Amino acid sequence: MKKTSVRIVFALLAIAYVATHFLGHAHAQSSLGIGANEAMLPSAGMFGGLLNWINAEQQGFYRALTGALKSMRDGGSGLWLLIGLSFAYGVFHAAGPGHGKAVISSYMLANEVALRRGILLSFVSALLQSLMAILVMGAVYFVLRGTAISMTNATRFLEIASYVLVTAFGAWLLWRKIGPWLRSLVWGKPALSLSSAHNHGHSHHEHHHHHDHGHHRAHDRHDHAHHHHAAGDVCEECGHSHAPDPALLGGRHFDWRTAWAAVASVGLRPCTGALIVLSFAFLNGLWAGGIVSVMAMGLGTAITVSLLATLAVSAKNVAVAFAGDGRTGNRIHAAIEIGGAAMVFLLGLALLAASLAV
Amino acid sequence: MILSGRLKRTATLCAGLCIALPAIAVAHPHVFADASLEVVVSSDRTVKSLGHVWRFDDLFSSTVLFEFDKNKDLQLDDAELKDVSRTVYESLAEYGYFQLVTHDGKDVKMKPPSDLVAIYEDQQLTIMFQSEPAEKLALSGKVEFGIYDPTFYTAIDFVEDDMMMVDGMPSSCARAVVRPDPDEAIAQNQQTLTDAFFNDPTGNDYSKLFATRLELTCPAQG
Repeated sequence: MKKTSVRIVFALLAIAYVATHFLGHAHAQSSLGIGANEAMLPSAGMFGGLLNWINAEQQGFYRALTGALKSMRDGGSGLWLLIGLSFAYGVFHAAGPGHGKAVISSYMLANEVALRRGILLSFVSALLQSLMAILVMGAVYFVLRGTAISMTNATRFLEIASYVLVTAFGAWLLWRKIGPWLRSLVWGKPALSLSSAHNHGHSHHEHHHHHDHGHHRAHDRHDHAHHHHAAGDVCEECGHSHAPDPALLGGRHFDWRTAWAAVASVGLRPCTGALIVLSFAFLNGLWAGGIVSVMAMGLGTAITVSLLATLAVSAKNVAVAFAGDGRTGNRIHAAIEIGGAAMVFLLGLALLAASLAV
Repeated sequence: MILSGRLKRTATLCAGLCIALPAIAVAHPHVFADASLEVVVSSDRTVKSLGHVWRFDDLFSSTVLFEFDKNKDLQLDDAELKDVSRTVYESLAEYGYFQLVTHDGKDVKMKPPSDLVAIYEDQQLTIMFQSEPAEKLALSGKVEFGIYDPTFYTAIDFVEDDMMMVDGMPSSCARAVVRPDPDEAIAQNQQTLTDAFFNDPTGNDYSKLFATRLELTCPAQG
């Protein structure tokens, strides 16, 4: 299992490499051709006003932040001011564009993840994002400067790798949610008794071991485990019960492998603001200032992402509780989970398309 | 049951789209430039050229230094600055050099500038270039000049109204600098914005609503 995931990761990296190397070669990544703009999908409509406010706020903090850095270069001592501004910028930045909060929120919607762990995930991925920014800028300053690999190239590579990961992660989540149901739709009809029998054959076996060992592969299994069929019986329940049963598909055990995929897909792409801040800080010898500022940004980002994820999960819980424990409740539960998985997938596709199109 | 499956799939897709779309907002600028624009009017009341000067902020300028300092001397010499100007020139081509000129609401085609000069002074990058209308652009009716980055990556700031100058303006024309309030722009253009969103999800279409622009209003000529 581990080997497979390692292989998948390398395959994805290879694809990302090919995509960056050949598809994106002739194109600039930002309108100026220097630095990397963040992929954006604009949002008009009812949230326009709110998002506009968030946008104005983060612009304001970004300007103040650059002002603080400049005054530090000129001999001022604004470290705490810088930290505060970076933190505020992080808070607003995460509420604006960016895929981090969307991926983490939908991951949490699609899985039965304890809130506290979801918050931990937000923090770990924001931390990784900050570290990636420091790593990229450090590498550019100490190693890559003067070579053919620029910061723009490095960021573009990480960006596409990140979006490929988001897409793959979404596809995988989606497959886990609806794959068994699709399979049963194709093969599991009563008329096709042979394949039907095949499908049901090992369910009791797996069902028993599910709780004993709790291995992850249980998630991939289809949801027929509860049915008892005598030979030749027409499966009366097959029609409706093939919808995923959240209890089985939801992932009762917290799966660190999945969680790491979410963290990596979010954290791989350093944010543009952090890179620009670091390039200025390193160039002017403000080593500590730059690093602390980027870490503070990460902390601010993590807080917003956790808040939004908490909001999403609470909304889900309210919806499920409202619908009750019956079939409707289960269906709503399943629909939200599938929606969450589908969203990660679509988001990844949209970002990837936007990123490759420039 | 297949029907209900379809319904569910459709519902899922809708749910996914509905959550996904508002979740991602407009990007905010990471690069700031203090800009000036000089519109030169010929004696025959046509627009001769637009002169642009953009002085970039210290932070972005450091990023540029990082990217183009091939010989690692922490300076940008002439050869390196040539690289900078070529890169920016090529990238801007795709975005009409951040210019949107309209005559009575209709887009005016601009010739690409012949070249673009980059200088690096006091740790700040400045870029200058000149462009001309592709065809004669007479000053009659309303002529508008918007200078902005349609991708929102760069904020081209005209700090004062005087930064948008007209050289040789006919006395019968009126000059105004318009700075749209974003909230109002959104409110007034709700329908346009929604349409623009579906026509062009990258947003390049509607970013002009937020851009500072120079408006010249002149009496119509026969």
